[in-house]
Amino acid sequence: MVDAVRRAPEATPAVARARAAAGRAVARVSGRALGPYQSAVVRIGFSATWLFFLLREFPHRGELYGPDGPWSFGLAERLIASNHAFSVLMWSDSGVWFQTVYAVSVLSSLLLMLGWRTRATSVVFMVGVLSLQNRSVFMGDGGDNVIHLMAIYLVLTRCAQVWSLDARRARLRGSASAGAAGPVLWGVLGAVFAYGAVTEGFGLGWLAAFAALWVVGALWWMVDRYEPEGEGRAVLDVLANLVHNAGLLVIMAEVCLIYATAGWYKIQGSRWQDGTALYYPLGLDYFSPWPGLSGVLAGSGTMVMLLSYGTVAVQVAFPFTVFNRRIKNVLLALMMLEHAGIAVLLGLPFFSLAMIAADAVFLPTVFLLWLGARASGGVRRVLPAPDAAPEAPEAPDAAAAAAAAPADPSPSPR
Amino acid sequence: MESNEREPAEADVPQAVPPIDPPVAAAAAAPVPSARPPADPPVEPPAEGAAERATPPRVPGIAGLSAPYRVVTALALAVVGLAACGHLALVFLHVAPSNTVSKQHAQTVDGWIYPEFEQNWKLFAPNPLQQNIAVEVRAEVRSRLGGELIPVGWRDLSAEDGAAIRHGLLPSHTRQNELRRAWDFFTGSHDEDNKPIGERGELSEQYLRRIALSRLTDDGTGARGEIVRIQLRSATRAVPAPPWSDEKTDTQTYYRELPWWTL
Repeated sequence: MVDAVRRAPEATPAVARARAAAGRAVARVSGRALGPYQSAVVRIGFSATWLFFLLREFPHRGELYGPDGPWSFGLAERLIASNHAFSVLMWSDSGVWFQTVYAVSVLSSLLLMLGWRTRATSVVFMVGVLSLQNRSVFMGDGGDNVIHLMAIYLVLTRCAQVWSLDARRARLRGSASAGAAGPVLWGVLGAVFAYGAVTEGFGLGWLAAFAALWVVGALWWMVDRYEPEGEGRAVLDVLANLVHNAGLLVIMAEVCLIYATAGWYKIQGSRWQDGTALYYPLGLDYFSPWPGLSGVLAGSGTMVMLLSYGTVAVQVAFPFTVFNRRIKNVLLALMMLEHAGIAVLLGLPFFSLAMIAADAVFLPTVFLLWLGARASGGVRRVLPAPDAAPEAPEAPDAAAAAAAAPADPSPSPR
Repeated sequence: MESNEREPAEADVPQAVPPIDPPVAAAAAAPVPSARPPADPPVEPPAEGAAERATPPRVPGIAGLSAPYRVVTALALAVVGLAACGHLALVFLHVAPSNTVSKQHAQTVDGWIYPEFEQNWKLFAPNPLQQNIAVEVRAEVRSRLGGELIPVGWRDLSAEDGAAIRHGLLPSHTRQNELRRAWDFFTGSHDEDNKPIGERGELSEQYLRRIALSRLTDDGTGARGEIVRIQLRSATRAVPAPPWSDEKTDTQTYYRELPWWTL
């Protein structure tokens, strides 16, 4: 396109350049699902966080979301009648149904983390997250809020291009939709959906959304099976890329909005201005699991001031640094460290995990490749894989490259 | 329900775009193949494996499609792009301070955001909470034997939460959020005289009552007899000013007592 610009410089070079740029942009967003490693790490991060949370709260599941918890079925019914939140738990007040939904939510988190039939499991994951959280809204905190949003956004993304069982299946069997599990899963989910539709368990919007997902799932499978090289498949690919790229953009923008809001509102606070803000949460009984540790940090006025100012500066600055790789990466590392600190110091491990998973969407590909190589190297050392090696040289997709990564010239230090 | 109706917002948009898009897509045809290899080699889609077939490999993206499909996908591009931007704009207006635009479009914003996209990121902002609010409960129990009323003194439920949280890496939501947020919910939906505001006020009252009761039965108060009535109060104590500052903070405990609730 450089030639095109040169050939007609006298006409309107600016227009030609703009056109070429627009053309390139269209080719980019329609030709590929961008950020395969980033979307995969977000998928793994959020599903692992939610899985970890559900397992940790397993002994308290009835108190949190069960029909006889303090936020009883009747109370939830009245609140949901006014706010129309989505929850399949409202379909029945039976204990068996609740246990089933909880178990399915655990299972879907595990499967989404592994990237098994990701298109379907991401939807089940979202339904699980929304159903449990909306059933008892007053049990949640900021961490639940992030998971709630990301569970919805993840449905839009092609988040299993790498680091997933789907990618592995595609590598070994030629297509991610190979095998009987896909159609079976489709049938089961269709039956559940039909039940929900008939018993008016969904609002109009959800009804349309699930119907669309279900139909597209079938269409995708048929095209993939019967004309994998045909134009129909190419069209679906383009559409999926568009939705994925928009979804990824929304995820990134959402993270920026979170930090911008958190930062800009802090600037207005007198405690953030006088540099004592961090001292106060350290003195709250609900947020000081390690009073000794909190006391040590709270004892140093200089430390508290630096951390308070640093927090605000980083949060306000982050959205503006996403266009500068180097500064962005430095701030990213700082924010992840701060969240790791918050996890322990304020006793908010799941909030922190969720925020780190959200931050991860901005991690550089080089770093993620390096991480993947280390992880798969570790896995290989524990259990040697018999079938991955012969496929690797000709397999074109990224998962293969990642699997073969120990041999890769990795640009990062090992 | 309203929040999920994505269709109407998107449906009338694409008509404006088609005249512009096909040529753009066509312009994209040339640069694509040359742009691909250097970008990042490991991320090729698996469809590429068709190289040995007789048909030439399809250019990825809109440019590789036939004319009718280009129109369809270009429309989709416009719809998806506008939907993403629209969503982000509405989320922005939701999290931003109330302003001219968000006031003008309050209904649209709320209609889209609630209930599933609701969010609040004023984390410890504008100022962090600077006081410990403890919820305490006392009760009257009718004894099993004689039938007389036995008073049970104030119990600090938040202190019990605090003890459960202490020295653990993974505090449970039942300890960290349940009572704390229930009290917030109650105070947010009641006036100064503890009169409920609307249905939420009533819901919060029942919620708080159920939490208190379940805590009382857990520790054996219920075993002493039938709980006849309970009373809750909050004890608010400011976190003392930092040792290095010369600020004076009133660290007295202030109580807010709710009326007795008969069960």
